[in-house]
Amino acid sequence: MSVLDLSAWQLALASLLVVVVIAVSVMQRLGLERDLVIGAVRTIVQLYLVGLILAAVFAAATWYWVVLILVVMTAVATHAAVSRLGRPLPGAYWIAAAALSVSTTATLAWVIGVIVQVRPWWEPQYIIPIAGMILGNSMTSAALAGDRLQSDLRARRDEVEARLALGFSGREALQPLVRGALRAAMIPTVNVMMTVGVVQLPGMMTGQILAGSSPLLAIRYQIVVVFMQAAATAIGSLIFVRLAAGRYLTAAHQLRRYLL
Amino acid sequence: MSTAAGDPIFQVEHLSLAYPARRGQPAAPILDDVSLSVERGSALTLVGPSGSGKSTLLRCLNRLEEPPPGTVRFDGRDVTTLDPRDVRQRAALVMQTAVMFDGTVHDNLRLRPANVAGDFSDAHLTETLEEVGLDATFLPRDASTLSGGEKQRVTIARALLRDPQALLLDEPTSALDPPNVSLVVETISRLRQTRRLTIVAVTHQPELVHRLGGWLLYLVKGRIEAREAIEGGAVSDARLRAFLAGERSHA
Repeated sequence: MSVLDLSAWQLALASLLVVVVIAVSVMQRLGLERDLVIGAVRTIVQLYLVGLILAAVFAAATWYWVVLILVVMTAVATHAAVSRLGRPLPGAYWIAAAALSVSTTATLAWVIGVIVQVRPWWEPQYIIPIAGMILGNSMTSAALAGDRLQSDLRARRDEVEARLALGFSGREALQPLVRGALRAAMIPTVNVMMTVGVVQLPGMMTGQILAGSSPLLAIRYQIVVVFMQAAATAIGSLIFVRLAAGRYLTAAHQLRRYLL
Repeated sequence: MSTAAGDPIFQVEHLSLAYPARRGQPAAPILDDVSLSVERGSALTLVGPSGSGKSTLLRCLNRLEEPPPGTVRFDGRDVTTLDPRDVRQRAALVMQTAVMFDGTVHDNLRLRPANVAGDFSDAHLTETLEEVGLDATFLPRDASTLSGGEKQRVTIARALLRDPQALLLDEPTSALDPPNVSLVVETISRLRQTRRLTIVAVTHQPELVHRLGGWLLYLVKGRIEAREAIEGGAVSDARLRAFLAGERSHA
């Protein structure tokens, strides 16, 4: 079983689906026509560019191109995570970059090197899509955790200062908020583990089946993916929240209130 | 207060403080060349319009804010050379909002860092509750169900359990309704007598100012504009009198 080719005119037929969306927007006066057209064009252009780049990297098949792609992906994910924070946080870029690169590298090494045992390790067919899935999860969870920490710090500032005034260390005073932020970041992942395959078929598994894999192999990969995403979520949000919480504290166990 | 000799517990010398400059915002001055001295066992009340730096000054005394080195001394030592966690046990802060943590009054009173010694036995908790006008029946109660005045008295008891030398009060009554204000004011002034506590209070409450006595200090835009001793509850400085009268009228 191999994949059926998609020609340009078949893509044009797919574009008719967007016309349906635009029609809904016009009829219901949603005012989204402009954004829909731009979005549709961007979808085509961005994916073509990514396809061209990936095709070139796959063809070149050298480790340094693969590493470069991974670095660029991490940088984009870092930017996206930071831009989702509710309020500016000094050093947010470095914090997000550390959280994403450590969580991705650690998880990727385990999956590529130990579980799937891809040889050579930089085989782009494996490492790039897997890294993308890990980064996507780390990014979302780091942003969720950071956003929750920031909003809790404003809402529960008195509670933090009351703990400090009772003689607790800065780290102890922020611990309940750190815990809340980590829970907020990890709950979506736990929910995915509860409902995966029942409520929705994961994109990767679907793609693998479309590409001709047996469903039983596809689900094995999917199991690995769910577990690796859970690990990346935990590691990424933990690093992000710990470093971010540290930004709000001084060495003398004071809360930097002007940052809130 | 600023008089000679004695045994000062807090000394502030030429303290100026500003919030650091940030992107698009210049540094904002908060305190401007403030000097004062608080005798052990005495009372000092800080009054002034909001934004005058009263709370920041108070928070410098137990290092919840960071004063420049050498400007604030606690018990004769530069506060920036002391462990802030230790200073905060000895100069205990009571805030405007009475923060109760999840659990019972008992849990709230026993809440402390792992390395803090002291008597946290039920008998001592009860004694301390009685000092603030509550009793043992409060111990098993869910702290979140207490009234505002009861919560504030529990936070005072929680501070007392550290056996502090000084109580720092940051508008301790301004979130309370009038009957509770009187109860808390009563509690604080009694403690000053019984425990020989040094009290530094930020307040808008003339009742608290009069009951505490001691010294009164008027801050405007981070500067000390007036200071005087309260003699028999009377205030002679016209600005201070006007300020207190004004606060009373819209209280």
